Amino acid sequence: MRKKISLVSSAAFVAAAGLVLSGCAPAADDSNGEASAEAVSICYVTAAEAHPYVTPANEAFDEAAAEAGATVTRLSQEFDVQTGTEQLNTCVGQNPDGIVLWPLDPQAYIPGLISAQDAGIPVVLINSPMDDEALEFVTSFTGPDVYDQGVMSADLIDELLGGEGNIVIIAGQAGNGTTIGRTDGFTERLEEIGSNIEVLQIVNADFDQQKALEASRDLITRFGDDLDAVYANDDTMARGFIDAWTESGRSLDDIPPITGINGQQDAFESIKAGQFHATIVQSPAEDGKLALNTIVSAARGETVEARIPIPLTIVTIDNVDDVDPAF
Amino acid sequence: MTARGNFFTSDAFHGLVRNRVIIILTATLIIGATFVPGFLEFRTASLGLDRMATLGLVAIGLTVVLIAGQLDLSGGAILALSGIATIGLQAELGQIPAALVGLCVGIAAGAINGFLVVVLRINSLVATLASMLFFRALCHLITESRPISGIDPFFGLAVSRPIGGTFTGRTLIFFVLIILLHLWLTRSVAGRQLFAVGSNPASAEASGIRSRAYLFGAFVFSGTMAGVAGVIQSLSVNTGSPVFGENIVLIAIAAVVIGGTRLEGGRGSALGTLGGLLTIAALTTAMEYQSVPSYLQAIVTGVILLLLILLDRTVSGSQRRDVTLAALWRRARSSRSSRMNERTPAP
Repeated sequence: MRKKISLVSSAAFVAAAGLVLSGCAPAADDSNGEASAEAVSICYVTAAEAHPYVTPANEAFDEAAAEAGATVTRLSQEFDVQTGTEQLNTCVGQNPDGIVLWPLDPQAYIPGLISAQDAGIPVVLINSPMDDEALEFVTSFTGPDVYDQGVMSADLIDELLGGEGNIVIIAGQAGNGTTIGRTDGFTERLEEIGSNIEVLQIVNADFDQQKALEASRDLITRFGDDLDAVYANDDTMARGFIDAWTESGRSLDDIPPITGINGQQDAFESIKAGQFHATIVQSPAEDGKLALNTIVSAARGETVEARIPIPLTIVTIDNVDDVDPAF
Repeated sequence: MTARGNFFTSDAFHGLVRNRVIIILTATLIIGATFVPGFLEFRTASLGLDRMATLGLVAIGLTVVLIAGQLDLSGGAILALSGIATIGLQAELGQIPAALVGLCVGIAAGAINGFLVVVLRINSLVATLASMLFFRALCHLITESRPISGIDPFFGLAVSRPIGGTFTGRTLIFFVLIILLHLWLTRSVAGRQLFAVGSNPASAEASGIRSRAYLFGAFVFSGTMAGVAGVIQSLSVNTGSPVFGENIVLIAIAAVVIGGTRLEGGRGSALGTLGGLLTIAALTTAMEYQSVPSYLQAIVTGVILLLLILLDRTVSGSQRRDVTLAALWRRARSSRSSRMNERTPAP
């Protein structure tokens, strides 16, 4: 028996060593390849590896890098701010020509950004905003105006309900800049235009369909038929609400109209099916490409704009056939 | 006995297993040095260790709790809570008093865990799971689910900047604390009694050790270390966030277990934990420098963890032998002189 376990564990060791080797080897070839004199090295701290929005953005980033002749070291925070702040320091230590950061917190990266500035490394923020104090340490911020998206969503829902009704907000990860922007933009806009729409509850579902499903179960149990509309910080979470609604045995024809953000393919289909009121198209491919191109320009010493937004398009039943989904 | 059977029961194999942390660490370093350009540069080492420091502080606390035969899942939530106190009270109290309050939050949270486990006799996994949820919820409640920022981003740079061109402040703090823990566990009576409590609290009590006091102390210590980690982490980023430290406890447990500390209690060492932490830090640094996706990194960590547990079982079933590196060396030298007499029969 003991011998058998020993054999298993020796096999496991070989497997582990193999994994480490195979994990390192192909990437090593890339960086040892023909590093031409003008090749720009970029360190990219991304939000996650596997996510409906982040993954296509990462892919577009890599494609654009290949075109621009830049080498990319990619570190993934997996939506953990603490990991991210440490990875930013690692990036600064590698002394690349430029750093691209996907901030998951409006403040926490500031000391890391200061180190980057001290080391003379330009930094571009991708996708998510940081507080104003952070902006003096970064070269540029590319990405959607998330506050504006909140404002646009508020206008859409206010118009839909005629300025009166009960809604719930399915928000993203607590403390995340995108969540804060999309939620504050929404609630502050409602206040600003003097809308009588009441936000019954705000739940955090971390931009995750499963978590949104769980949160929506409770929302439907509590408020059910009182809901006049739903605002989700992104389409993935809106999908979770639709799942919960179906699960509760209610008819999809009676679902309170949802307004989401991102402009995903399935949201387009839901608009056609009448479950969605609207979504706002924000292309991850555009997001990734723009950030890469901006940091490459900055690394080569060209001047870049401090704020480069990506275009946003509102999609409703009126134009759903004319617009391409973001992903 | 076949030749292979001899090998798996031989001193050499037992020696390999007992010193597996050193071996895996060496293997990781060699692989890293081979494939990652600049891996062995001092700057890389300094950065890699800096990444490990916060994790390491939590792992120091967990080492003690695990040796005492208990678990503490609440470290990440305590880290966040003490960080929020450290940053949130800066405006009212000033930076250093606020940091002290943050430390006290850690001590108090640890005392609550100790109370739940020792006085109310709740299983430590359940008790600290509950307190983890409670502390985490408290973080969200206090901050309204938003990160808060301190008054001066430059204040905390001291802990995350290399001191005199060597290691960062928090790395040095970590090293000092883990060496103190090592000395306490190996040189003091109290340290050795902790192992007795972890092996069997009842018989430790019967032999005159105040088991319950040790258990309570272990939780207070673990909470305190999470508090220290929280203060340092929040100062270094000038932010207190309700979501800090969400994954840290499980990785810290992995590091402690890789280092040879047993979940069953009664066995473990501070230097083992240090080895486990260094292994994880070296793996992370090596793989991140090569853009290996984080899920592959998690697979490697998981495989190493399983492998070590399996290896551990192969030797723990057989009789205890002294197979530390020093003992093996002594034996190799003496067996050279009297080869025939020294040979231990295979069990």
